[in-house]
Amino acid sequence: MSDRLPAALTRRRASLPLLAVALCLPPFYLDAFWLRIGLFSMAAAIGAVGLALLSGTAGQLSLGHAFFLAVGAYGYAWLAGEPGPGLPPALAALLAVLLAGAAGGLFSPVAARVKGVYLGIATLALVFLGHHVLLTADSVTGGFNGRSVPPLTLGGFAFARSDPEPTVLGVPFGAEERLWYLGLALFAFTWFTARGLLRSRPGRALAALRDSETAASVMGVDVARHRSAAFVVSSMYAGLAGVLLALAFRRVVPDYFSLALSVDYLAMIVIGGLGSVAGATAGAVFVTALPLLMTRYADQLPLVTAPGSAEGAVGPTEAARYLYGAAIVLVLLYAPDGLHGLARRARDRVRRRRSRAPAPDAVVPPPSQPTAARTKEHTP
Amino acid sequence: MTDRTTTAPPVLDVRDVTVRFAGLTALDGVSFTVAPGSVHALIGPNGAGKSTCFNVLSGLCRPAAGTVTLGGTELTRLAPHRIAALGVARTFQNIVTTHGTVADNLMLGRHALSRAGFAASALRLPSAVREQREHLARAREIAGLTGLAHHFDTPVALLSYGDRKRVELARALCLEPRVLLLDEPVAGMNAAERARTAEVVGELRAGLGLSVVLVEHDMGLVMRLADDVTVLDFGRPIAHGTPDEVRRDPEVLRAYLGTDATGEDAA
Repeated sequence: MSDRLPAALTRRRASLPLLAVALCLPPFYLDAFWLRIGLFSMAAAIGAVGLALLSGTAGQLSLGHAFFLAVGAYGYAWLAGEPGPGLPPALAALLAVLLAGAAGGLFSPVAARVKGVYLGIATLALVFLGHHVLLTADSVTGGFNGRSVPPLTLGGFAFARSDPEPTVLGVPFGAEERLWYLGLALFAFTWFTARGLLRSRPGRALAALRDSETAASVMGVDVARHRSAAFVVSSMYAGLAGVLLALAFRRVVPDYFSLALSVDYLAMIVIGGLGSVAGATAGAVFVTALPLLMTRYADQLPLVTAPGSAEGAVGPTEAARYLYGAAIVLVLLYAPDGLHGLARRARDRVRRRRSRAPAPDAVVPPPSQPTAARTKEHTP
Repeated sequence: MTDRTTTAPPVLDVRDVTVRFAGLTALDGVSFTVAPGSVHALIGPNGAGKSTCFNVLSGLCRPAAGTVTLGGTELTRLAPHRIAALGVARTFQNIVTTHGTVADNLMLGRHALSRAGFAASALRLPSAVREQREHLARAREIAGLTGLAHHFDTPVALLSYGDRKRVELARALCLEPRVLLLDEPVAGMNAAERARTAEVVGELRAGLGLSVVLVEHDMGLVMRLADDVTVLDFGRPIAHGTPDEVRRDPEVLRAYLGTDATGEDAA
């Protein structure tokens, strides 16, 4: 198909380096608060992409995403830290992701047989089980108080504060600045791999499973194997997100990895638009950034009070939850394909208007082809 | 996959297949043999068990008794995806396409013939990328063969009914099947579309030498394409033979038209 879309594709190829440069700039201009929002958003986006693959593409509901995030976060903290094996942090991070995948694999006898909403109920058990283990297995998890997360080091470079803070172009590079680039790299890796998956053999097989199990199986798709593989892959993305979250928080506590977190991830992929990588990212940014921004600007917002100020008042976190609850309702009512679908339609409209106007350099693609290409990447 | 198309397809042998759904006997001792490279039609009134028979052949339904063998391989114990990998492809009576474009659907048909797994696809290894490109080229060729070339990148949801039926046919062909099961390929099509589909099936059989099992209500099409016909009624095979023989068989006439007003079966 690539040979058919010269204009649209070259435009996209040209905008990619620009986007990359733009994403590298924030550490030079924004303070730690904004960088932390970005960092949490990137971590959430990685996890949301994993869930989008499972729920959006393969049609398997999971409420157990928080469990696999916890496996990644605690796995890293334990593998790299004291008490624990104290492995080199980079190796520990890799193993933590594999550990999350293995945890998903252990659940795959269930994940391969149970479908759709029923899997959602089955995975609910994982969250409660995980939470219980985190609270009770003191020696590994640190119990209720959690444990601190050792910083990641790569070839002598630590993604944490160091005492004489090095400056790059006059900007001091603390933990947030450094972690930003780590997050960016992991996020880029996630996009690259997830889009590769969606546009090739396994992605098509998963989408076929969601649309019609019967058709998929007579076309040669091993239903059980693909269902469990989707679950494992989704768990690995969750594990990676967990590692990054742990590094950003610098401390992991059990209460963070609750059912509410799983629901947050579902909210991300619904708001963003099911089954698309871009949608999952947009949803992740929305759901992550909103409560943080509302906390920061609580004093300037009507009806919202600073955290813990007065009884009966709406705190910023609750207000953010109301807002994205409302966002989910609005999305389901008016834009079932989420933010991604809205953006796509807006882009269509702009392009149609542009193609009606005289073409600047006569390489306007015939309208049917870009439509087809866009529908391909978006599998609702 | 090339050896599949050059060698003659194996014999598909259905022996005494019986299927029961909670007391209802959907198929009762059905036997027939599809000779290599022939078109074998399965006809009968509504509810005769034709689609159930297809579900047995493609592994979606496990018979209570009987065997189905493809060149000596027993199919009734195999999962649908294994049967597909042996080169048995089918279409459905009610169109079952997936979301996405015609290309996506046809590439799904290439699933059993390609290897790229999750890791290779995610990391976009050169082998996976190359494989995808090769299969895409073949899928495009098959789209051309079935008259879908100009719709290759069109979302299936935007196609007409006849074109969607053709997508199903093309997708089945993408498996490079040795046995093709067509469940009412021209149902609901207009005359021109019917003629075109009949032409494609005829070409396929001549060009690729594959065996075709055809369920169809359009008797004109059956008479034109089929070498052998098996007639089912209430799950029992009632007649067998060439189209001409079957057309004159009194049992067949009775099943389709009912007996005279005096016959007790009509009640």
